[in-house]
Amino acid sequence: MIPFTVIGGFLGAGKTTLLNRLLGEAVDRRFAVLVNDFGALDIDSRLVTAHGGDTLALANGCLCCTIGDSLVTTLLDLLERADRFDHIVVEASGVADPGRIADLAALEPRLQRDGVIVLVDAAEVRERAADRRLTDTIERQIRSADLLILNKVDLVTDPGGDSGADLAALRDWLYRQSQAPLFEACRAAVPMGLLFGLDRLGITADAPPSADFASWSYTWREPVPRQALTDLLHDAQRGVLRAKGIVRFDDSPDRRSIVHLVGRRIEIRDGGPWGDSPRGDTPDSRLVLLGLKPVLGCLKRQ
Amino acid sequence: MTTTVYSARRILTMNPSQPFASHVAVRDGRILGTGSLDQLKGWGKFDLDDRFRDKVILPGFVEGHSHAFEGGVWKYPYVGYFDRISPEGKRFKGLKNIDEVVAALAVHEKTLPKGTSLLAWGFDPIYFGGRRMDRGDLDKVSTERPVVVIHSNFHVANANSPVLAKANITRDTNVHGIVKDAAGEPTGELQEMAAKFMAYRAAGVELSAVLSDKEAIWRFARVAQLAGVTTATDLHNDLPESTVDGYLQATQSADFPIRILPAFAAGSVAPAEGVPRLQGLMKKNNERLRFQLVKIVTDGSIQGLSARMRWPGYYDGTPNGVWNIGPDDIDRILLAYHKAGFQVHIHTNGDEASEVAIEAVERALAAAPRWDHRHTLQHAQMADAGQFRRMKALGMCANLFANHLFYWGDIHYAKTLGPERAERMDACGTALATGVPFAIHCDAPVTPIGPLFTAWCAVNRLTASGRTLGEAEKISVADALRAITLGAAYTLKLDEELGSIDVGKRADFAILDDDPLQVAPDKLKDVGVWGTVLGGRIFEAPRA
Ligand SMILES: [Zn+2]
Ligand SMILES: [Zn+2]
Repeated sequence: MIPFTVIGGFLGAGKTTLLNRLLGEAVDRRFAVLVNDFGALDIDSRLVTAHGGDTLALANGCLCCTIGDSLVTTLLDLLERADRFDHIVVEASGVADPGRIADLAALEPRLQRDGVIVLVDAAEVRERAADRRLTDTIERQIRSADLLILNKVDLVTDPGGDSGADLAALRDWLYRQSQAPLFEACRAAVPMGLLFGLDRLGITADAPPSADFASWSYTWREPVPRQALTDLLHDAQRGVLRAKGIVRFDDSPDRRSIVHLVGRRIEIRDGGPWGDSPRGDTPDSRLVLLGLKPVLGCLKRQ
Repeated sequence: MTTTVYSARRILTMNPSQPFASHVAVRDGRILGTGSLDQLKGWGKFDLDDRFRDKVILPGFVEGHSHAFEGGVWKYPYVGYFDRISPEGKRFKGLKNIDEVVAALAVHEKTLPKGTSLLAWGFDPIYFGGRRMDRGDLDKVSTERPVVVIHSNFHVANANSPVLAKANITRDTNVHGIVKDAAGEPTGELQEMAAKFMAYRAAGVELSAVLSDKEAIWRFARVAQLAGVTTATDLHNDLPESTVDGYLQATQSADFPIRILPAFAAGSVAPAEGVPRLQGLMKKNNERLRFQLVKIVTDGSIQGLSARMRWPGYYDGTPNGVWNIGPDDIDRILLAYHKAGFQVHIHTNGDEASEVAIEAVERALAAAPRWDHRHTLQHAQMADAGQFRRMKALGMCANLFANHLFYWGDIHYAKTLGPERAERMDACGTALATGVPFAIHCDAPVTPIGPLFTAWCAVNRLTASGRTLGEAEKISVADALRAITLGAAYTLKLDEELGSIDVGKRADFAILDDDPLQVAPDKLKDVGVWGTVLGGRIFEAPRA
């Protein structure tokens, strides 16, 4: 299965900057990037060539009154040459609901939904959301997010380093609308390992290059109580950014369960019976978490 | 240099200084003159052609908003509720219940090779008393072959069990647009993105190739010509090279029966790239092909509940619709094409979308004043009197979706808009009173192409159930006929070349069996179309 990430957010929130960072830093993986920006900004084509992936521009609907034909046909076309890349990223248009686009992964068995990342422009979002013609569009985007990136915080932070009342009010406003973990960033500088880190080939636990983030690996010999684990992940919702693992749950000890978490969204699916892999693996549960340091510290104590 | 004079029962010219005539003289594909035979004799030697002596001649109809996709979908069987004429002139009888649809599909299924999918279009369950199609119905067509039936609105589809199985769609699939029954099982009805994805997936690459299919453009031209159309738009096209080549090839043939205007999809590339591209394409224009239009799609559709509405929104409380291209991008894209001197057609269904588009035009004009831009709101279905006044003040045109009144008027009255706003939708009467130049359209393949039917809608404003929707917005037959000829030509900046039967204009005619000004207004849609004349060349329509 190919991980499928959707990047959303209103015009000017930094989606293209984020994509350029991703392509600039991606060395070991090939991303296919689908862009739908109505020809506003272009992503840096040198980066696309350098990382060996593909970028496909999307037009809006072919037929009047329809939305998404181009996305759908481009995606299907892409899946025909799925061997040429490791991860698909869609940049949603500034007015699209990225959650609807991510739904495509549920309709296509070859895709693994890998999260909806929504960027928010710290300096502009409140004012734009106050425009009655945009309110619902922006709120839908925020509600669809598995991970929120509050971008351009430098523009609402005063030079003395005090994050100020504006930023606090902004956080509250976002928390009221969404359970998703919230990153704060300038120029979309977030560790790419956190956003796109765990690849489809297995579990990697490279520590993200930041003092604020950490990764943690767990291994259990005994079957894991399903409720306890999901409770744990839910409790840590604002701090655990990603989790991936193969778990032997107490209620289905004979089968692997694949646990996949991006932000607030937890997905558990069946991974077949234990012991049928060529490696003949032992039925140990393994889980890797990536998240904010303090939160992970708490989890460990439990 | 031969001159042919055609006699007719009557010629309706749309030229106010000589509205009626008995003869028209044609030379070199253009109109030499109209009048009586005596008045035309002074032009010298001519051949008198009497074949239309019992017919009534009008300017060739101009369809200001259609899509060549109409020619694409005819590759697949039509299973709609209403009769529809195919490009070959064959009348497909409307299917009046789900069993009839299933039976028709089952017959078609037998003709398909093994290993292919069955795709059908035009299905419309709104007159089936609430009964929806489900996968059980379509499993009767086949339990092995994927079957997908696309609804007439192109936003919903039905699939059979093999399609759902192939995509792993089960009761556990939680995706917007997958309809489930009371027991939580997927019914096979798919909406919006889910519908599109499954339709394309089932049909493979075939469906996406349909638009650039060389035959599709011919099918579109034929189906338009059968309805008396001599000029039609393909009002939203990315214009990839393959499509442009197909257009050039088709329109270079003297047998190609219409003039076609593709509108460049402005959202497909950056304006900095799109402007020179369109300017380059215009150099390839020929007598039957005109690149000159630009299209911006702002919101969705009312019947799809995706139109952008002003307060108080949808009558049934459905949340507001979605932007396809949002307000900021509309401004940016419009300004770029406006500055480059293009005429821009802006799709706006809901009144909030119309508001945003009107304000964008206002800002573009303030930034770059321009006379006679004729930027046109396409659909403008919910525009109210105030918005028409603003359009008038800004020099804008409107192309109103009159067919909508018949096909979805009942739903709008009961559910989406409520009585008051449904009665004033597609406000031709207000457009006329305000002085906004306007056309009326079909948006084929959303509804069938047929300007006389469209005119009938604007005149009678009857819904499918027979309700009159807005007495005050009715217009006269004469005004409606102008809207499908000179009025539409004006919204395409072709009114000096087409749209009326006048000296020097192109010899494009619709040849009718009856006089639309003589028949009862409620019979306007039943006036037969004998065929057309395009640049002096005669195209007789096969009889349906
Ligand atoms: Zn249209
Ligand atoms: Zn439209």
